[in-house]
Amino acid sequence: MQNKTYKINRRQKKLSGWHKYAVIALPYLWMSLFFFVPFLIILKISFAESIDDSVPPYTSLISFDSEDLKLNFSAYLGNYAAIFDDSTYLYSYLKSIKIAFISTLLCLLIGYPMAWAIATSKSSLRNALLMLVIMPSWTSFLIRIYAWMGILKPEGYLNSFLQWLNIIDEPLQLLHTDLAVYIGIVYAYLPFMILPLYTAIVRVDYTIIEAGYDLGCRPAKCFFKLFVPQTYSGIIAGSMLVFIPAVGEYIIPELLGGPGANLIGRTIWDEYFMTRDWPLAAALATIMLLILVVPIVLFYKTQRKEITQGAK
Amino acid sequence: MAEDVKENNAAQAETIVQTVRKYPRCTRSSILKFVFLFFGFMFLYLPIATLIVFSFNESKLVTIWSGFSVKWYFELLSDRQMIDAVLNSLIIAFSSASMSVIIGTLAAIVLVKIGRFKGESMFALFITAPMVLPDVIIGLSMLLLFVAMSNIIGWPEKGMVTIWISMVTLTSAYVTVVVRSRMRELDTSIEEAALDLGAGPIKTFFTIILPSIMPAIVSGWLLAFTLSMDDLVITQFVAGPNSSTLPVLVFSKVRRGLNPEINALATIIVFIVSVCTFVYWLSRVRADRRRKRDMQLALNRKG
Amino acid sequence: MAELLKDNEKVTGSEKTAVNKNREPVKKVRRPLLEIKNITKKYGENVAVDNVDLTIYEGEIFALLGSSGCGKSTLLRMIAGFENPTSGSIILDGEDIIGVPPYKRHLNMMFQSYALFPHMTVAQNIAFGLKQEKLPKKVIEERVNQMLKLVHMEEYVNRKPHQLSGGQRQRVALARSLAKQPKLLLLDEPMGALDKKLREQMRLELVNIIESVGVTCIMVTHDQEEAMTMAERIAIMNRGEFIQVGSPRQIYENPNCCFAAEFIGSVNMFESTLVTSGPEVGSVIRCKDLEHDIHLDIDVDLDDGMEVTVAIRPEKIYLEKTSPVDENGQPLKDNYTTGVVTEIAYMGDISIYHVKLNSGKVVISTLPNVDRFNKGLPTWDDKVFLSWDPESCVTLTF
Repeated sequence: MQNKTYKINRRQKKLSGWHKYAVIALPYLWMSLFFFVPFLIILKISFAESIDDSVPPYTSLISFDSEDLKLNFSAYLGNYAAIFDDSTYLYSYLKSIKIAFISTLLCLLIGYPMAWAIATSKSSLRNALLMLVIMPSWTSFLIRIYAWMGILKPEGYLNSFLQWLNIIDEPLQLLHTDLAVYIGIVYAYLPFMILPLYTAIVRVDYTIIEAGYDLGCRPAKCFFKLFVPQTYSGIIAGSMLVFIPAVGEYIIPELLGGPGANLIGRTIWDEYFMTRDWPLAAALATIMLLILVVPIVLFYKTQRKEITQGAK
Repeated sequence: MAEDVKENNAAQAETIVQTVRKYPRCTRSSILKFVFLFFGFMFLYLPIATLIVFSFNESKLVTIWSGFSVKWYFELLSDRQMIDAVLNSLIIAFSSASMSVIIGTLAAIVLVKIGRFKGESMFALFITAPMVLPDVIIGLSMLLLFVAMSNIIGWPEKGMVTIWISMVTLTSAYVTVVVRSRMRELDTSIEEAALDLGAGPIKTFFTIILPSIMPAIVSGWLLAFTLSMDDLVITQFVAGPNSSTLPVLVFSKVRRGLNPEINALATIIVFIVSVCTFVYWLSRVRADRRRKRDMQLALNRKG
Repeated sequence: MAELLKDNEKVTGSEKTAVNKNREPVKKVRRPLLEIKNITKKYGENVAVDNVDLTIYEGEIFALLGSSGCGKSTLLRMIAGFENPTSGSIILDGEDIIGVPPYKRHLNMMFQSYALFPHMTVAQNIAFGLKQEKLPKKVIEERVNQMLKLVHMEEYVNRKPHQLSGGQRQRVALARSLAKQPKLLLLDEPMGALDKKLREQMRLELVNIIESVGVTCIMVTHDQEEAMTMAERIAIMNRGEFIQVGSPRQIYENPNCCFAAEFIGSVNMFESTLVTSGPEVGSVIRCKDLEHDIHLDIDVDLDDGMEVTVAIRPEKIYLEKTSPVDENGQPLKDNYTTGVVTEIAYMGDISIYHVKLNSGKVVISTLPNVDRFNKGLPTWDDKVFLSWDPESCVTLTF
């Protein structure tokens, strides 16, 4: 190979003129209409009152008074008040956050060694291993969770196996417990943890570790003081990719969790489909969004940093 | 040419990694690596393996083996409801992947090629946010929009169209990210060279840029396809009574407990995905080998 | 032979600069092709190109030389049309091309990375520009063949860029940018992507091809050797401004400021004071580092007592173990000093001597090695006399 010392021209050519607006128009309009406006509607409905047996089942905020010829604007705070009054809602927020947090930690504990093992294996093997990590997520999410139902059932494979080993006499109650929810989340989201970690670990500058060895640093210390800090961006990105969807997860607690596992995703779902209290569901979603703002911003920041670093 | 630089960097990284790896050869670390990978992949694949094995079980009780049989496959294939759901899913996945490729590619162009404009940071947020937000929120917000819209303009009705719109909104975020990263890697002087040689911006896009980002567009399409094929939560919110997709149907069955038909379905899905993955993998290995041979060719006849 | 060597020793080390020292390059009357007037480019607060004027004549090879970030690439990209100047005008062949998009300008550029289209073959790459003009197929084919022949790449027509070596890619890129027969060819770091050995070989080949076509050419480079071997005229740029524009010889022999002197080649700089100057006495300059005055034959036409810098190239400083004499055998009264050899770097063709003066300043001098081994020339720790011809000194005021 020859020495390639030239730099790639990274200065992006900017579009201008009518081309620019033509290109912006479609995605911008689409996303405004189908993504931004819905959020405004959620916000709006969260301030409306629920009424039964009407379509749609909520009051409108703006009403026109034909006698006074005045527009009346009324915001109803009752939904938010109800959420803060009723401990079951607060409980389900807290429980969602707790379960998402612990699952994220577990994912990191399992994902980091795997990502490390893949990133440091032979380059011919690496892509195949990565493919193996991603492949389950190309099959159906639902079916993968379903698989765990069969494993964790009282008469399921795991209990039969443990009984066969004579470790337990009576089948354990595994399905419909928090443990099952943890297993489900970790299982479903592990690939999203491994991929960013892999990207970060592959980029680790090994001369820094060598310098550490050279200066008399023990391997374990080297790992935590020199290796892990180089992969922070991957850790944050992976953790956010697990944490954010886990907070709002619906399918896993519904199929694997117990009746008490009323996580917020499931609560919103039930408020909408069972109780048909749309304003309350909207208010619950708004608060969930507010909770997720911090991790989402964190995620975007690391991504942005990644991009600017990559461009250097 | 950008690829060459990458190639070079990769080669350098490779040598560095190799020199580092020289001293802990076949020692604790390689055993450790094997252990991590072995248990990791056991965790990822054992559940899938149980699904496959028990899809050939004769008994209706999924967890107890009573003999080999393929009767659940026949049952599955004669399930009219299931076939309809699969068709619905395929139609939605195909059409929404195609649309989101257009929107996502345009959005990637906007993000990479257009400098500051009014609402630029808003745009960047919009376009990628569906990727990180929980499905429940997206589903609920889409639904409320559709309800509001049909109250005002009488359109759309809950059904295939609403699912399609929601899926496009969700998956164009992914397409944008995939295409954007490929466009960022492109050596912009290629584009400038085309302009310099007299091709106008539109012609340059179609003759130079589009062929270069085509691989990313294809993988974006595939990603969008699998995502919409797989979505349950958002679809459940916006689906109408006659537009049940595969995940919606499976969910309603699974809720009622284990069902050997689902095992058969899972086996078919896993089979299709692994065949596709294998073909894709093979084509990449081939392309890789060809590239290496070409590079050898270039080096041998230097001048 | 001995006579000759003696002469050589007396004149200077490097023959290249010694021969025809004061001859100006022949000035041909040429038509200006490109005129750049008061061009300025600002990126927000940063001024990338600061009010630059430049005229390029038909048929010449012109080099913009400077370190990275000096504005040379920005200037080139403004000529090509990839950047719009903040103010000023660019006139190509009588036509103001500001605001004309790059695809409508009659000039072509060879990119630093060559920017070959990866999904097209060599022939398709070369034909791309011609196809944009909607020329008949036959004409395109003919021109492509002609270009392939010009760059000796006939056998690689159907290769794709990644199947070519660096040198081959460069030739394809050159053929592609020449195919449209542009009025002006722009080269952005033409050798930037090649390794060192290939670079030297390709320099002359590139010049030969360009001259055989007769196209006017502006190149951007950070490599002074490249600029000097390839270009007829060079502009040295720094911080968005032209420091000096001239032929390689002019810039090397008569730099107009300290920056230009130090930028090209190596040089010894003596910070000194002008004692007196006049038509009869010439100029007497005193430097605290030197034991004797610098005495020039010419009148520098500056105020007495002014601070000046005297620049002397290393190859123009004579190194002798005996005290220096003039042509008549009389000992020199000025234009010399003494010092001790502290370092000798053997470079093959020449050796570089570092001589420490009494003041502690280190002066660099080069001697051809042919002398070093024929005569017992100075070695480490020798006390030596350093002397120079008055005409070797360049007096600089900033």
